[in-house]
Amino acid sequence: MNEEGKSLLEARGLSRHFVVRAGGTIIRKKRIVRAVDDVSLDLRAGRVTAVVGESGSGKSVLARMLARIVAPTSGELVLDGSPVAIKQKRTLAYASKVQLVLQDPFASVNPVHRIRHSLERPLLIHGAAKTDVESLSESVLARVSLDPPSRYLDRYPHELSGGQLQRVSIARALCVKPQVLLADEPISMLDVSVRLGVLNLLRGLCDEERLAVLYITHDIASARYIADEIVVMYAGQVVEQSKGTRLIDEPAHPYTRLLIASVPDPAALTRDQVKGEHAFTGAAVSEGCRFYPRCPHAMEICRTSEPPMSEVGEGHMARCWLHSYTSEVSSGALTVRQRGGTVSKQ
Amino acid sequence: MSTSSLPRAPHHDVAPSDETALTSAKPESNDLVLEVKDFSVDYGWGERAVRAVRNVDLDVHRSQVLGIAGESGSGKSTLVYAVTRLLRSPAVITGGDARLFLEADKDIGSDARTLDLLGASERELRSIRWSQVSIVLQSALNALNPVLRISAEFDEVLRTHRRDMNRHQRRARAVELLELVGLNEDRLARFPHELSGGQRQRIMIALALALDPQLVIMDEPTTALDVVTQREIIGELRDLRARFGFAMIFITHDLALLVEIADEIAVMYAGTIVERAPAASLHDAPRHPYTLGLLNSSPPLHGEHRELVGIPGSPPDLAQSLVGCSFRARCPYALERCAREAPPLVGIEDGGRMVACWLHDGSPTNLPEPLRRKASPTARDDLAPRAAKEVRS
Repeated sequence: MNEEGKSLLEARGLSRHFVVRAGGTIIRKKRIVRAVDDVSLDLRAGRVTAVVGESGSGKSVLARMLARIVAPTSGELVLDGSPVAIKQKRTLAYASKVQLVLQDPFASVNPVHRIRHSLERPLLIHGAAKTDVESLSESVLARVSLDPPSRYLDRYPHELSGGQLQRVSIARALCVKPQVLLADEPISMLDVSVRLGVLNLLRGLCDEERLAVLYITHDIASARYIADEIVVMYAGQVVEQSKGTRLIDEPAHPYTRLLIASVPDPAALTRDQVKGEHAFTGAAVSEGCRFYPRCPHAMEICRTSEPPMSEVGEGHMARCWLHSYTSEVSSGALTVRQRGGTVSKQ
Repeated sequence: MSTSSLPRAPHHDVAPSDETALTSAKPESNDLVLEVKDFSVDYGWGERAVRAVRNVDLDVHRSQVLGIAGESGSGKSTLVYAVTRLLRSPAVITGGDARLFLEADKDIGSDARTLDLLGASERELRSIRWSQVSIVLQSALNALNPVLRISAEFDEVLRTHRRDMNRHQRRARAVELLELVGLNEDRLARFPHELSGGQRQRIMIALALALDPQLVIMDEPTTALDVVTQREIIGELRDLRARFGFAMIFITHDLALLVEIADEIAVMYAGTIVERAPAASLHDAPRHPYTLGLLNSSPPLHGEHRELVGIPGSPPDLAQSLVGCSFRARCPYALERCAREAPPLVGIEDGGRMVACWLHDGSPTNLPEPLRRKASPTARDDLAPRAAKEVRS
């Protein structure tokens, strides 16, 4: 078991760019979509790191790069202290340490095989003895609270509910005794009433077995519930991150505020003004802040140059010109900043 | 709708009996749009039938937003599809009554009338579908034809139901509808795959409003979208409703979302309605343990961090015959009586609250604390007559 807080998987400046066709009948024009751009993350033992962002923010591509299903364009991965050769094919050893759980369990668990098959395959591939396979499968099912395990082994996926099947898919990831669990929207396809069960399970695995968990979601309220650290992504970049839930209590970036305001909250009466729908991913704004077209506080500088990540509090960083005061910043931002230390709410 | 089908074609072979008066001269109530009584739907026949909807009563008033909440398999979609007669075999409507009260529509020259949905012929159903009752489905990508441009979808609806419109008028109407949902005219030339999820869902909403229906059914319209887009679409729906005054049935499993958009909420569990109340009071003071559980299933954004458990267990198998309360296996307050008798949906307190739970049978002091909570008299109590307020402003 790992010591709590030990870095298990670290991403340094990870990027993934996709080349897409952008019109032209005879001479094809190409366009680069920067799906993930220079993202650094540190997944530590016994900690849940949440990545929050809307569709197209690059959070799933990030998870797939960490699982090494998608090769990064540039950047480094450090697994348990030793660098990973990202240009080479993923090794079995890597897969045995880092496992990915996908969003839709009905699509990710093979429907024509019994649950037994889905659990035994990773065990056999990773070298378990044939005689142990049954007891090992039962023990992973017990770990995800599917009791009694023998009842589930011979079922088919369609016989289970969404919540149960998502537990099976977590159990499948646990078969190989990974150190890092990457969960890509594990609850968004589940019923509200069983979501908490899956979240509590992930939290429990993290606390009891010192797994490093990456929890990807678009629901910032669930991130607050489960995470030790929250990272907000927008159009491929990290725009804000903080230890604990500081980022939710005192959001510094206008996009984080938009995300928080979007959560259905019957208790909230007033809301920040939401402006326009996002219509681009990554490449539409080539220079300047990527959130500029939707930002209610946009200034001249936001259009022309990209804001750096700057510290707004202890362990709390934001990528916004409102918080990185330099001589370039227009006086408009300054007044906003002076009003209350952090950006005032509208 | 073609005017030729109204009034009812004389050659129609089944003479309407008094019971199933297909077209009556006057609507029975000016206020109701849809009235459903004692409605039941099974999937399959005989012993193995799944009793998906059991004895549900429902009414939707004009300009009202009725929210139906419940988890997968609770029968919420089955109910509305059966009522609108969209379900096919092996679904069987085993009992009940559903009536649609239509106002006079000068666009198509029809009078106010009442339609018995269960007795209506295909031809009559066809005349009200889309023009009076329209549906927005959860997955807009599946609902839009992938090989047709968006303009063709609008064209088809208008060509079928508004035969007097020419090509230019149809185009103009499509542009106007897109504007309503905040989309640019150039979207008409696109294919569904070229649009984002939010844009596709907006197209579906625009299509649903194309013929000025009196009732719009939204079946989980925002479930496949992320929270920011969901927020925008909910805002737009509220504006559109205030502007055009159509009634809406909004189905979702997200109770917190419903509290924001609905005037009244019905919570369904295992095929029955277990609680029904005005939105704000349902949220502030739930009376059924299941509603309470649902409300406690969404982690809050503010306040103390505490361990939440959701609702343990899973819903009952509806193919088995149910004795007693269907929620008792998951209910923390289950009584001995719950295993024997199913609680009926009865009115409690006042303000139109209905609940199906034996806990509310005795004296209120025996109630568990969370179910005794009083609805807080805040400004949000004004939310119920919200529609009227918005129309005024």
